Amino acid sequence: MDTDIRQMFVDTAARLFSEQVTRDVVNGLEKGTWPADLWKQVEEAGLAWAAVPESAGGAGGSIGDLMAVLREAGRNAVPLPLAETGLGAMMVAQSGLTPPVGPLALVIGDAGSSVRISGGRVTGSAKRVPFASIAGHIVVVAGGEIAVVAASNARIATGQSHAGEPYDDVTFENAVAVAAGKSSVSADRALQLAALARANQMAGAAERVLAIVTQYSKERVQFGRSISTFQAVQHMLADMATHIAATSAAARTAAYDAEDGDGSFSIMAAKTQAGEAANRICAIAHQSMGAMGYTYEHTLHHYTRRLWVWRRDYGSETVWATRLGQALARGGADSIWASMTASRLVA
Amino acid sequence: MTMPTLDFPPFRLPDDAEALRTEVRAFLAEELPKVKTTDKFRSWNTRSPEFSKALGARGWIGLTWPKERGGGGRSFLHRYVITEELLANGAPAGSHWVADRQSGPNILRFGNEELKSALIPRILKGECFFSIGMSEPDSGSDLASVRTRADKVDGGWRVNGTKIWTSGAHRSHYAIVLLRTSGQREDRQRGLSQLVVDLKSPGLTIRPIINLYGKHDWNEVVFSDCFVPDSMMLGEEGDGWLQVTSELAHERSGPERFLTNFHVLTELARLVGRQPGARAAETVGKLVTRLWTLRQMSLSVAGLLENGKSPVVEAAVTKDLGTLFQQELPEIARIVAESDAADEDDLAQFLDLAQMATLQAPAYSIQGGTTQVLRGIIARGLGLR
Repeated sequence: MDTDIRQMFVDTAARLFSEQVTRDVVNGLEKGTWPADLWKQVEEAGLAWAAVPESAGGAGGSIGDLMAVLREAGRNAVPLPLAETGLGAMMVAQSGLTPPVGPLALVIGDAGSSVRISGGRVTGSAKRVPFASIAGHIVVVAGGEIAVVAASNARIATGQSHAGEPYDDVTFENAVAVAAGKSSVSADRALQLAALARANQMAGAAERVLAIVTQYSKERVQFGRSISTFQAVQHMLADMATHIAATSAAARTAAYDAEDGDGSFSIMAAKTQAGEAANRICAIAHQSMGAMGYTYEHTLHHYTRRLWVWRRDYGSETVWATRLGQALARGGADSIWASMTASRLVA
Repeated sequence: MTMPTLDFPPFRLPDDAEALRTEVRAFLAEELPKVKTTDKFRSWNTRSPEFSKALGARGWIGLTWPKERGGGGRSFLHRYVITEELLANGAPAGSHWVADRQSGPNILRFGNEELKSALIPRILKGECFFSIGMSEPDSGSDLASVRTRADKVDGGWRVNGTKIWTSGAHRSHYAIVLLRTSGQREDRQRGLSQLVVDLKSPGLTIRPIINLYGKHDWNEVVFSDCFVPDSMMLGEEGDGWLQVTSELAHERSGPERFLTNFHVLTELARLVGRQPGARAAETVGKLVTRLWTLRQMSLSVAGLLENGKSPVVEAAVTKDLGTLFQQELPEIARIVAESDAADEDDLAQFLDLAQMATLQAPAYSIQGGTTQVLRGIIARGLGLR
């Protein structure tokens, strides 16, 4: 990891997002307004293609740099397919193909999806595909192949997640890909990378929840004193902070492990950790902010709704914990400790 | 918006620490089968002087202490590896634990030459064990309110008072005792000192306190005109408070805060087998996730300490999450075991083990800083108080 480059990505993302991603922009997407201008700025700043090699037109960063950008995106509820575009363009470029410019969606042919690639054509369907309806192209990874399909070549039934972001059902009927070939990663690996991305977005969102809630508790006065001075409130927020810290530590470690190796054990654990902690974090955050935090007017829901929805994206905690548990069981009870200390499955 | 930060940067142990892990595993594979104890479920706080002696002979007590004093001269990261391997393998490390973790380092840092040359070599050999004399009948979380007094007399101190919850005082050779050497109780942190006390001293009585599952670990230690020589004073008179608070981060975030009952997890995995049902697999996956996360947090704190930082709040976060994990583990395991065990006898044996772990669990969030004290520290770190 190059710390100077990392810091440059983080600073660029933090500045751009905190200045441009206003409440109106986030609420606007929910009402159907695609923030085209914001997307353009994000692309120009090199954040969308953070982990695409410079030779392919990207910013030349690592997977860890992309995850650092995504934590900033989560921290600011950035209403863009930054994870999908960042990973999609990276995987397309790594497979020796040219990534298309513009927002991307991801369809991964995993056990739950029927999507198949054959002879440069894509068939099958996938449900709840984030941002498919605003994407110019859809990156499909299935059965060792990768394909880039123009969104206009797919049938898209629009929907919306409970976080107010596009969540669309996509059907390919022998759709011709604009580019296709052997994938640099398996579908399993693609799903892991997407889960890693969501875990990092969740870490960013959770860190923001901590900031919002601690500030509010210091400002809100009841019984003549700020509510942060009540021990009951302090202990509740301390409890919440421990779960946020755990989510953040797990996501950062998984990003670090994915950067110089496989990191699949860490990724499964990080998405499980984020999914397990999300409800507890959101529940305490809302409890501590009372009716104010439950309004649409306040921005707390930008983060809590995303935490609740992102739990399910690219494998919920149930999915990943079960896979991890099965893999560990195959290695036998006495290999669990060795696997934990190596952060990889040791049989 | 200013963001309160709880910073846990990713940290990986250096290669030579991982190389040491291989040696420790080989040592334990050979030594552990030899150890005999009366504990039905052996764990790290099971005492075995023979095991401590073997570990000392291998050079793994006082690993971080200076070489010129006979220590290992290695980093806390190396010690971390030994500690977690002892814990995860249920090695009976209880005899020397306190001497290695805090008494030895305190003597090296604050003790005079006489004290160091008398005690350090014996600790290193795994032949000299210590207890902690901090808590009193009226001083638990509020440690600065201790009443035990030492009055200056010719050539030393005359100690009167009572210490309580003193783990292993009946099996240890010495205790480091926090007491008042000047001023009054209202002076709080001022006027406190620490004396190294020989537990066989005249005027010192050790009375057993039996815990809820019938084990004798705790004691009440009563001092009545117990004489302690001047040379046993740690550092300067009045420095006691500084001494007891200076090493809390190492103590709080170490692997003993989440690996104490690791055997419950491995035995659960053994019970549900190599092809568990979805529910059992999910449970094992989630428990391992929590432990893995805790270990990464604890390693992160270790890395920060190694780099000269003082991650007090992060250490408190790690202990809070870790001890609560250890309390939930036997309960979560018990519930899934009931529905997923293949064999009745295996289940009965596992439930026996889980029940014992449940009986031990309440202590975790009391010793070394209660959950409530830790949450106060975290709240202060968040700027709430």
